[in-house]
Amino acid sequence: MTTAELAQDIRTDHGEVINVSTGLSNKKLLMWTFLGSDVMFFGAFIATFLVYRNRSMVGPYPADILDIPITSVSTFVLLMSSLAMVLALSYVQQGRKSLGTFWIFAVVFLGAIFMGFQWFEFTTFAQEGLTPRTNLFGTTFFILTGLHGAHVTIGILWLIFLGYSHIKGALRADNAIDLEIAGLYWHFVDIVWIVIFTVIYLISARDSVPPGGVPWVH
Amino acid sequence: MAGFWRNVFTHQGEGWFDLPKTQWQEVNPTMEGPCGDGGTPIHRWWSWMSAAGMHHGTPIFYTIIGAILAVITIVEVWAFTIEELGSMLIPVMLILAIAKFVLVVAFFMHLRFDRKYYAWVFGACMVLGAAVFAIALALTTFHPGI
Repeated sequence: MTTAELAQDIRTDHGEVINVSTGLSNKKLLMWTFLGSDVMFFGAFIATFLVYRNRSMVGPYPADILDIPITSVSTFVLLMSSLAMVLALSYVQQGRKSLGTFWIFAVVFLGAIFMGFQWFEFTTFAQEGLTPRTNLFGTTFFILTGLHGAHVTIGILWLIFLGYSHIKGALRADNAIDLEIAGLYWHFVDIVWIVIFTVIYLISARDSVPPGGVPWVH
Repeated sequence: MAGFWRNVFTHQGEGWFDLPKTQWQEVNPTMEGPCGDGGTPIHRWWSWMSAAGMHHGTPIFYTIIGAILAVITIVEVWAFTIEELGSMLIPVMLILAIAKFVLVVAFFMHLRFDRKYYAWVFGACMVLGAAVFAIALALTTFHPGI
């Protein structure tokens, strides 16, 4: 392949012009690589949670404190925010500004509701007596869900910036790749929660006093 | 099985998927459906929903995927309340979670429509992460003192 061929512009299916011989978007490749590293990041904390599952010697234990109905609602909210995200990208790519803006801020709104649920859950648990220092369940639970919440918060701030850029005309159909990158991040946060919801809330929710443990009295 | 998985998940723009097909990469696409023999109303519907001359799915297509995700979540919570499931609870929950995971990654994250290289990057990290995960669990299971 000649230098001229290597240097030629390659127009991807998203209208983005990229100057690489691979034909891959550098931005998108970077984000997928980052998400791959984040898989291992969250994988380590999920593995830690499972390793220390049923090893807390004092309560509250998961069966004493986890509220499945409330968390199910917040899970539903986060799933719907992913739907809003993909709709936002679709409309921005089509150049439909008002719909694009609406759905970008719908993602922000739903993400904020999810964080509201997490705030409610954390404060309720603290009032009930579960903190990161209470037992192994508390430590692993708060670290894992707290780090996920931090990811959601970063995503919300990122999308507020992109929504503002869209209103101002800086984010358009021809550079919608920037929103697609943010979308990849947001969907990743969603799939991490799918795993957390299953592992912590559904599979471990019935974990009670282990052998040798002290029953928890509210 | 690996081929089916790959075809469902990825698309390089160099050919058709096996199941189901999308057509946007073609200059003059025919209305091929899931079985490649296009022309029936269902095939035309799928082609319109998943491609429709755009780069990804249509908003209605994504809304249907979102509805399926919502239904799976409801089924998860319902299954959680069934005491009779006993030790089957974990495999049932894992299967449902994997279904949601696949739907989001394949369609919302566009891996189904995008170049295979991205899928390989993400997939390799998934495998590595799962290996670390399995090793950690195995070590602590067989060596509880760790």
